[in-house]
Order: sequence, then C-alpha cells, then structure tokens
Amino acid sequence: MKNIPDKNVILFKSCLVSGEYPGIETSTKYIFDKVGIDYIVNDRQSCCTGLGHYSDVFDQFSTTIVGARNFNIANKTNHTNLAMMCATCYAINKKVAKLLNTNDEIRDKVNDVFEEVNFDEMKYEKGSIDSTENIFHVVELLFNKKDEIAKNIQFDLSKFRIATHHACHYCKVQYEDTIEGFRDPKILDELVKSCGVETIGWYDHKRSTCGAGFRQRFVNKDLSMEVTGEKLLSLKNEDTDILVHMCPNCQMQFDRYQPYISKELDTEFNIFHLNIVQLIALVMGADPYKIVGIQTHTVPLEPLIEEIEAISNKKDKELKKSIG
Amino acid sequence: MNTSVKSPITPKNLRVGVFICECGGNISDIVDIEKVKSSINADVVGEFENLCSLNGRKIIRDNVINKNLDRVVIAACSPITHEKTFQDYVKPLNPYLMDMANLREHCSWVHDDKKKATEKAITLINASIEKVKQAQAVDPILCQTTESAAVIGGGISGISTAISLAKQGVKTYLIEQNPSIGGKMVKIGKVFSPVKLAEECGMCLLNPVINEAIWNENIEIMTNTKAISAERRAGNFNILLESKPRYVDEKKCISCGKCIEVCPVEVPDSWNDGLSMRKAIYKPFSQSYPDAYTIDIENCEKCGKCKKVCTMDAIYLKGENEMIPLNVGSLIIATGHKTFDPNLRPEYGYDRYEDVITQSELGRIMGVNGPTKGKLKMLSNGKVPRRIVMIQCVGSRDEKPDGHRYCSQVCCMVALKNANIIKHKYPDTDIIICYTDIRTPGMYEKYYKHGQESGIRLIRGRPGEVSKKGDSLVVRVEDTIQKEFTEIETDMVVLSTAIEPSEGTKEIAEIMNIGLTEDMFIKETHPKIKPVTTDVKGAFVCGTAQGPKDITNSIIQANAASSKVAEIMNNGLEIEPFIAEIDPEICNLCEKCIDICKYKAMSIKDDKIYIDPLSCSGCGKCLTVCEPNAINIHGNIDEKIFATIDGMLKDKKEEETRILVFLDQVGYTAADNIGVNRVNYPESIYIIKIHSVNRVMLKHIIYALQRGADGIFIGEYPGDLMYHEVEKKMDQIRKEIEANGMNPERLEFSNVYIPYFKGLAEKFQKFDNKLKSLS
Repeated sequence: MKNIPDKNVILFKSCLVSGEYPGIETSTKYIFDKVGIDYIVNDRQSCCTGLGHYSDVFDQFSTTIVGARNFNIANKTNHTNLAMMCATCYAINKKVAKLLNTNDEIRDKVNDVFEEVNFDEMKYEKGSIDSTENIFHVVELLFNKKDEIAKNIQFDLSKFRIATHHACHYCKVQYEDTIEGFRDPKILDELVKSCGVETIGWYDHKRSTCGAGFRQRFVNKDLSMEVTGEKLLSLKNEDTDILVHMCPNCQMQFDRYQPYISKELDTEFNIFHLNIVQLIALVMGADPYKIVGIQTHTVPLEPLIEEIEAISNKKDKELKKSIG
Repeated sequence: MNTSVKSPITPKNLRVGVFICECGGNISDIVDIEKVKSSINADVVGEFENLCSLNGRKIIRDNVINKNLDRVVIAACSPITHEKTFQDYVKPLNPYLMDMANLREHCSWVHDDKKKATEKAITLINASIEKVKQAQAVDPILCQTTESAAVIGGGISGISTAISLAKQGVKTYLIEQNPSIGGKMVKIGKVFSPVKLAEECGMCLLNPVINEAIWNENIEIMTNTKAISAERRAGNFNILLESKPRYVDEKKCISCGKCIEVCPVEVPDSWNDGLSMRKAIYKPFSQSYPDAYTIDIENCEKCGKCKKVCTMDAIYLKGENEMIPLNVGSLIIATGHKTFDPNLRPEYGYDRYEDVITQSELGRIMGVNGPTKGKLKMLSNGKVPRRIVMIQCVGSRDEKPDGHRYCSQVCCMVALKNANIIKHKYPDTDIIICYTDIRTPGMYEKYYKHGQESGIRLIRGRPGEVSKKGDSLVVRVEDTIQKEFTEIETDMVVLSTAIEPSEGTKEIAEIMNIGLTEDMFIKETHPKIKPVTTDVKGAFVCGTAQGPKDITNSIIQANAASSKVAEIMNNGLEIEPFIAEIDPEICNLCEKCIDICKYKAMSIKDDKIYIDPLSCSGCGKCLTVCEPNAINIHGNIDEKIFATIDGMLKDKKEEETRILVFLDQVGYTAADNIGVNRVNYPESIYIIKIHSVNRVMLKHIIYALQRGADGIFIGEYPGDLMYHEVEKKMDQIRKEIEANGMNPERLEFSNVYIPYFKGLAEKFQKFDNKLKSLS
C-alpha cells in the first residue's frame, strides 16, 4: 500500500466545504488534533477551480496554473502533503500534478505565465509535488490512523444502519491511487468500522454517482434527480438510517435535495447525511454545533443526536447500576 | 584508461593462398584482376572464372595440398552466400582457416570507377590475408544431451507433448502436482467442434490420450509431485522433485470405494468447482490416473475407519514427502492456467447471489458426470432457469488495475458452446450473451452463426451491475448498438472469467529463471518467429502456460515443443565454436558477467563461472564488464578484428578517406542487398563483418582511429537482445574518443534492417560527407 503521511500536511480548503458544510473542516481539524496529524491551513491557498472547470468555465490550462500556484504554497510552507476534504479537489490536483510533471510543454507555458506577471518565484519545479506521493484525500490520512480513532470513540452507533457513498472522483478517476478498493470501494466502510460499527456493506447502486454531475444538477435537473432518487430508494429498501459521505458535493446533492425528491417521488426518506469526518467527530464527543456544524444541514440532524445521546445515557445508567 | 594498443603479432612463415573469382564478369568487369594479382603478396595467387563450381573445388583443394597452404583467402562474393561452400572446398584445411573477401556485393556491384574499385579490392584482400593469418583451427562444439525430458504439468498439453516425445524414443517424466493427470480438460464436459457444428464429449476425447500416456513405456507419470529446484549444466537439467504421499498404495488399491462409505469428513469437491461434496479419502474423478484413491491429509481426521474397511490393506496414514533428483536433457513447461477470481468484480455479485456462476461451474452443471448429472438447474432452488445471461470479458480486455488487458481467446467460444448445448436440451430457456466483441475467427464463425440460428440472443455491451429484484436477478447493461440502457431480469447469470497464469507457471519460472511476459505467462524467445522456445536453452513451453488458447492450439504447441526437444536429442547440437571462454585463474568471481548476459549463459558452479556452450551466443558483452580480463572469445576473435583493421588501413593514401563499417549478420545482409540492387555508395566504405557489435570494443575503435581511419560506423539490428546495451555503450565510447584527443563525431551508430538497404547506403553517403566536412 502507498505511504500515507501524518506530518507536513496542508489541509486543502474547499469552496463547498467552506460555503455549504463548514463543519467538515472543523471536524477534520478536531480529529487531526486527536489522532496526531501535523497540519497547517494556509489562507493564501485558492480554490482548485473544480466546480468551474467541470462546468466549462475554467479550461484545463487555467486550472493547471491555479494548481501550480497552490503547489507553490505547499512547497514554500514546507507542507508538501496535500490533504483534500473534497473529492473534486482531490482529482483535479492529482491531474494537475501529473500534467506538470510529465508534460514539459504545459509546464513551460505555465511558468511563462508566472514570469509574465512577475511571479517568478512561483514557477513550478518538475517533480516537486508528486501525484501519488503527495496528494491525498483526508479519508486516507484517517484510514492510516484507524486504531487511534477507535481509541477515541465515546458513543455507540450500533443501533443504526449505516451505508456509505464513495465519491466518483475518488474511486473512478484516479483509481490507480485509490486504497481499499475502487470497484467495491470500502474505505468509508472501514472508517465506520473503526467507530465500532459495521456498515450495511454492499447495496444496490452502491457504486453509482450522487447524480450532481456538476452542471448536470442545473441543466439536466430531471436526470440528475432521477439518479439521486434511485439511490435513495435503494437505501430506503435497506432501511438505511445514515448515509456517510466523503465529498461535500455529493453531500449537498443528497442532503439539500432529499426533501425535494421525497416530494417528487411521494416517498418519505428518513436518511441522515453526514460526512465521514462529521460522523467520527460526533462519536468522539465533538460539539454537534460548534464542531460538527449540523446547523448548516437541510435534513435536520437533531433527532439523530438525541438518539445517540439517549443510548449513551441509558448505557451510563446501566453502568452505574451495575457498579452501584 | 590506457587505450593505446599494439598491432597483433602475426605468426610467421604461414603459407597463404589467394583465389580470386571473376564471377563470370560480375567482378572482373569492374575490378582489374591482373592489377590485383600483381599487388597481392601471397604464396599462391590465382584467378578463376567461377570458383564456386565443382571445378573451383578441385583447383582450391589441389593448391591446398600441393602447395602446403596454411591459410586460404577466397576473393569472391559475400560469405553469406558461399562461406559454407568454400569452408568445404578448403578441406583438408580446417574450415575456420579460410576467409572471404567480398569483391562482388561490397565492391564491383557498388562502384563504377574501375581504378578506385580495383584499389579497394586489393585492400579488401589484404585485410582478409591479415585476418586469416590470425585464425586458429577450431572445431565445432558438439553437445550431446541426455535423451530424456521432464514435462512439468499433466494437462492436455503436457500429456500430448509427453506422448510425442516418448514416441520419438525420448524417456519422458510427466510431472503433475495434483493426485491425477488430466488437467482442466477433464472438467469442461463438452468441447466445441467448429467443423461439425457440434459439441463432443471432452472426456471421451481425452481418455484415450491419457491411456496412451499410461501405456507408453517411455513415459513415467509422477503425480502429487512438483519441481522445487532446477539447475542447468551443459544442456542438461538437474531437477529436484518433491513427491507428496498419497496415503493409499496405488499398487494395492483396487478402487472398490469401501473407504468413502465410512469416511466421516466431507469437504467441497474441487473437481466440481465446489458444487458438490467429497470425502477426505477420494478419487479425483472416475477416470483419474493413477486409478487409486488418495487422502486429502489436510482435511483427514485420522480416525482410521478407512484403514479398517480396506480389504487390500492399501491405506497408510503416516507418510513423508520424498525428494527425487532427476537429470534430464530437456524441460517442457506445461503448467497451464487458472481462471480469474470473479470476486474481483463485486458488481457482478458472485458471492452475493447463488445463481451467479462461472462458465467453468456451468460446465460442471452441464456435465453428465457433474453435480447435477448433467441437468441444468439453478443452484438456489433446483429449477430449470427460464433465462440465462452470460457476461463476457470478466477480467479480460480490462484496463483497470486488477484486470487483464489481453483477450482470453476462448471465452466467446466457451459461452457459445454452453449456450448451444442448453438451447438444444432446453429450447425454452432464453439465453442472452452480453459481449464486448464476438471473436470467433476462422471456422468458429460458422459455429457462432449456428448459435444465432438456434435462437441465442446477443447484446453488445459490458454489463455494469448484477442486482436482485424480488426473486429475479437483474443485469444492467447498455446495448451499445441500440444505444439503449436496459435492465434484464434473469434466473441465472454466467460469468466468462479470464484465463490467467497458474501459480505453477509463476513458480517454475522463478525456479528456472525463465522470463515471463508482462502478463506473467512464460515468455517465448521471439513471440513471432520463435514459438515454444524460452530464454533458457533446452527449456520449452506449450499450452496455456504460454498464454490463453484453446485445446487444439495447446496440442499444436505441445507437438512443436516436442519436436524442438527432438532436434537437440537426435544428433546432439553442433555449435559454432566462437563462444566465450573464461580463465578461472584470473576470474575474481565478481559475477558481473552473469548479470549482463541476456542469454543467461553464465552461472556459478562449484565456485567457478560456468559458461553454457548451448546458451552463449558469443556476443562478447561479458568481455566489456570483466575487469580482470578473464573472458575471451574462443578462436582469437580479438586478434582477428585488430588484424582486419590493420589490413583495411594498410595502404591508405594521404588524400583518401577510409571509413570502417562494422556490421552484424543483419547489417551485413543489408549491405549485400545494396550490392544486389546495384545502389552506389562511396569507395571510402570498408565493411567488416562481425558476429555482434559487442565484439567491437573501445580499444578497437581507438586503434582504428589512431591508425588513420577517418570514421567508424557501427550498425546493428535493433531486435537483437543486446541492442539497448550497445546504445548505452556508444555515448560512453564517444567520451573516450574525445579523451583520446579525437573528434567523437567520427563514430556513428545506426540501426539496420535488411529491407532498408537504400537507407543504409544513404547513411554511408551522409557519413562520408560529414567526415569530409570535418577534415
């Protein structure tokens, strides 16, 4: 298996995380601190362009320049291990690194642009960020700390039926680097396991997309919603309580649109949506609002929190009883 | 590095005869033979109209005998055309004491200027005289190998090759790691016959072949046995075999079957792909050989019940592995294949749904000797399926990391075969084959049409997922011809899993140090032109160990492999004597020669470097890495090169340009082609034939440049095993030339191809122009 770092990490900020579910970032930091991952966040880092790129707003060249600039920040701060909270950032940056390292013509053009605008010091040096060795998804760093996570678990989730939704841009684009399976991706299932509970494993449509498809959600809304709806129906068939995510865009698609699809299909879905880091932070005892940030969710998470706490209280009482 | 080299010492008082051929005007029309004769210094100089005629033989032979000639130079055509002829004509002189100067292809056919051509002819003859003086009388090496062979793997390929070898009188050991020979073919039920448009019983075809192997006295069948180490010496293989005990004495066992009635242990029967159960004491299948029971000791509880009921007292529960050494002259790898693990395609639900099976399992279900006695049944409920969907290319033609990029070749026919059989027996069962492309070349196309006419439906598309809705399986697939997404409800799904290398194949390659392809099959020396040979001399491959293929092609390869073995066995091997030899007194055992030799000719035996004469090509690469200079090429090769260089430069004039061109066999043939096609090139080109460009070393190049050569041109065929080594070497040599105070531009390296002779002539011309501009 590839070498996963826990030092010199730059936690790569994501537009969708910051704008939609900031709890993902606070939860990530919360867990990183608990399990001992050395990281920084740098305010000069910019968006990867992903959303715009896949909506045909930014071409690959602009994306590559932006990527090179961000890699420069990683190199300058000597935090050359980039950890992504968003699968789009993950795939975009991997592709940019590959392009910059293997295509001399593109790298020269990118460096010409830096020179033109007097940013000579930002020029990309071939091989300084390696697609496989330096670019990771946060879940990979956490997978490497599974045992540490297991030690910090405070709440019991075994009552719930948990399913996982793996991001396409993690396991279908750069699959050479994917760990824990790309045909039947299991990295989230493994992480849920480290929280002391087995997921439902395989379910019909486990591997299908969330349906967002970037601009498809807007220009092809019916198809987009149909795909999401199919997956939700399959999850409902499995009596799923929680769907675990690893990409803020997937999470938006399910969390924001579940009420809409519910109305369209005239079916009630009682499925909570949480990013894996939110789930882990929650069971580690993080504050649901200040850290996990459940207030930004569309599908209310309060009932879930209450239930988890109730289970915990009940256990505490039983424990006290047995001791007393 | 000291690169100044002295001229080789020429043995004195050697009597040299030079015989010049007019070639019916082909040479004498351009070259002034009289001028040549008067310019050559030799004991005998003769001119003849047609030297290659039988009359020529008499003239040469009479001169050799009457004038006591020690060396002969034939100034005629290309050695590629007539070397063997003149080696014969110089008898009783040793054939290697004759050399040919190529006055036709490399002189009269490529030059028009008679004066210059004549001068060049004189130089070519002089070079030959200098070279042949350095020649030594050597005899071809005769390797006689042990007339026996080991065949690793007792499937249809191994059995076929063993029978063929045995019939040719070769003692053959057929080594099989399983308790019975027969391989995969015993399991597949029916086999397809493209010509008859019918399926035939596989066991009925195989059984007589197995019997033939059993009854042939030249074949010794060793089951439960595998090779654990092997080493090769002088064309022989020393193999160490490990034989596991059967726990049932095959000589005593009468296969009555009483033992299985009392055995309490039940385990999945691998012969039925685990679809049925067998006991811990068992016979692999009814026609298995040896015809005796065996105990699966890993699952045996050693209760001793079988021992009590055995009236023949054939059972023993204590046994140890036996080590058997074997010395054979040849080795054939027939280690077969395995099939792709369907669990690596979780989307197809092989481990989730009972009615998702593989073609191999379907073969067992359809086999009358299988778990359902040939009745088509769903494993979940025992009913006949109303519909079957077959999914092709499971693990084949797949570019993702755990798939195989190659096509497994047989799966289209296997799917069609099983579909046809089902259609005939169960016409109401609907069969849909989801394929990537249908690949049924040659006669098999007729079988494919036959299947379509029987009502088999085909959808072009690779299914994405198999799911379950209620009681039915659902196959999701895009029909890429209709461009429609469909969901097919079905009772059964059959996966056509890829053929991949067996563990045994990888193991034997490791033990034998035999090269593997990127797909981990046994690699042939040349995939196009040298089938069944491996990079270890005397070791051959056949069947699916070499790559996916059907039974017929496996048998063809088996027979090809056995005839390659027979080539070695029948007359021994006569090898050109110009191979590497090592002086063990000087050798420091650094092993660099072992690492660099692509022919795997070097090994360490008894604390000495051993050079296998069968494997060594005499390329000379080992010389370049041997720091103490312990290696030499037999037959004074080094001295001959120096002498040739001397001869080629001997009478060079002030204003003249001379380029020495070193060409290997392919390059020399290309240069001959230039002559045959009468394409001109500068007179400055002097071609020297060498066995491999590795034999031309830095010292030769510096030597030639220091003695007046204007340029050195080295040409080699890029298909040569050592080509990349040479390419790397050239840059190094250029640096050394510079260090010796000369212009590195004077060295040219080029790849050569036989059909590309015009290109080679152009390169000569360009290099000549370039050198002229340098000076």
